[in-house]
Amino acid sequence: MTLTLHYRGEYMALDFQQVRQQVMQMGENALVRAQYLREKRRKARQILDAYAAELVSLQTKVDTAISANPNLRCAVPTSEKLDHRASCPTIPDAVTVLAADGSQINPDRHASVDFCLVNVGGIQMRCDAPDAPTTTVQSQLLYDNQMYTSSGHITERMVALMRDLRERELLAYLTKKIDPPVITLTDGPLELWVGRHGAAQAREYEKKFKRYLDALRQLHSAGASTAGYIDKPRGDLLVRLLEIATLPQNEIDKAGREYRPYLGVTDANIFSALLAPGERSAIFGIQSRNASKYTAELALHFFYLNVSQNEKHPYPVRVEIPAWVVDNSQMLNDLHAVLIDQTQMLGSRPFPYLLHRSHEVAVVTHDEKRQVENMIALELRHRGVEVGQVSQKQAVKNASQQTGRYQR
Amino acid sequence: MTSIEIGRLLRAGTTGFVVGCRVSQLDAPTFGGLVRVPLGHTKDDYQIYGLIHNIHIDDDGIVRQLVTADHVDESVIADNRLNRNVPIEISVLTIGYRHNGIIKHLLPPRPPLSLDVIYQCNPDELCQFTSAGRFGYFRHILRFEDAPKGELLAAHLGQAYQAHNQRANKDWVNQATQELITLLRDDYSTLMSVLGALGDALYV
Repeated sequence: MTLTLHYRGEYMALDFQQVRQQVMQMGENALVRAQYLREKRRKARQILDAYAAELVSLQTKVDTAISANPNLRCAVPTSEKLDHRASCPTIPDAVTVLAADGSQINPDRHASVDFCLVNVGGIQMRCDAPDAPTTTVQSQLLYDNQMYTSSGHITERMVALMRDLRERELLAYLTKKIDPPVITLTDGPLELWVGRHGAAQAREYEKKFKRYLDALRQLHSAGASTAGYIDKPRGDLLVRLLEIATLPQNEIDKAGREYRPYLGVTDANIFSALLAPGERSAIFGIQSRNASKYTAELALHFFYLNVSQNEKHPYPVRVEIPAWVVDNSQMLNDLHAVLIDQTQMLGSRPFPYLLHRSHEVAVVTHDEKRQVENMIALELRHRGVEVGQVSQKQAVKNASQQTGRYQR
Repeated sequence: MTSIEIGRLLRAGTTGFVVGCRVSQLDAPTFGGLVRVPLGHTKDDYQIYGLIHNIHIDDDGIVRQLVTADHVDESVIADNRLNRNVPIEISVLTIGYRHNGIIKHLLPPRPPLSLDVIYQCNPDELCQFTSAGRFGYFRHILRFEDAPKGELLAAHLGQAYQAHNQRANKDWVNQATQELITLLRDDYSTLMSVLGALGDALYV
């Protein structure tokens, strides 16, 4: 039997009775789960304290674990103790902060025209100047042959990769025109998401990845620092390192595989209890098969930063930086101070102001997508080219969303 | 004397219209100021006149968030005023129009259209409009319920008084006040409120 649910005359696709049962089950388990995780976090923190200064032995153990498991993913200690805390330095007098973000219109086989679009936006602000920041937008329409790669029709993942690449290239391009010191920021990790590819896709990926590394090198040559800002991080690279620390030497091959005693504990859980407002954690390297492609000055590192201004409500975020920033204490301190300054600009919602603005500058709305689609269709018709039609499925969906006289 | 452009039309009806403007244009429009809209789509000399009765600055989520910060940077303020799409809306009460050189204090045959340019009237234009006819435009103001009539009249008469005074037409304000007293003779409370506001605007 099918029940049709209505609420104030509108269809309800969700069966709230079914969901409610499951929500109640979830609630029954929540307390036990919270207690379980609290205990795990407490133990993980004890391990951190115990191994905080054991940097060399930990490094050796990670090296051994990598030889047993080349796909191992974990944090790698650097020269700072694991529980190191650095308070917020003074904000530099004259520094330009540059942020970039990207947005895209994905290929849509149900649309009337075959196209996609990559839109990237940048915004730059000088810390010591009262002037309004300047914004830059670059929009690239992809059509015809650009909609195909050697492996076939372009995928959403490839468009996302192009967006990430163009964000980094925009930063490199804009940085050339600015006197140092310059700090460049992007939302999300520095490490490009790889995923699994077929051989042909992998070749496309490699080409774009090479350009991505080139853009990073250009930033380095220009004397700019760069960072990827990860809000509400769920990563557990440090927790994985702590697990390796407690693993007996004769079981090291289990590292990162079946031995995951602190699964569910995140790095942010640990740093919430460790870092005071404005403080950053120790800097860690990243061990992963993908991260190993970032070598020398590009080698990926990260630290956690408590961007909250409230002692009782810590809010750690992860910041990914390349080795050239780690090796330059001035760059590192400036980045730390600027990030705290930027996050404080939005008051009770600590998030870098310029990152939010770069999102606003770059974002492509649904309405804009529709307008671009219409613009292309008009141009084609104007030139006497036959325009395809929206798929029947999409047309019916559109029709059901329209308010008509028959709708109750 | 040239007129200052203060924005473009967002929406309109016969009795009033709303203008959108940039922050950099916000110095020109004032409460009670006379504005005009030359209708771009007609070849005739056809302009609509109105009085600014409200200047509205809208907020959005980010502005609400920024005010919670301990300190707001100058550059952040400039960014929000110049780069972000901060909606500044100026509401105008229609009080007359000009067609082929003749000013009438009647509602216009047609409202202006979207994106028509709105200008602040200069003192010559202000004197020209307010001297035409016998203060017929007062009835649009006195009928208007969405703004404090006394304050609106006082602001308008204050500006018109200065413009006429500069042109040695010192009698204009007395005639205007006399006309208001006549129009409001049966509405004592509004009359007192209008005269009180006029007193503040003209004689302080």
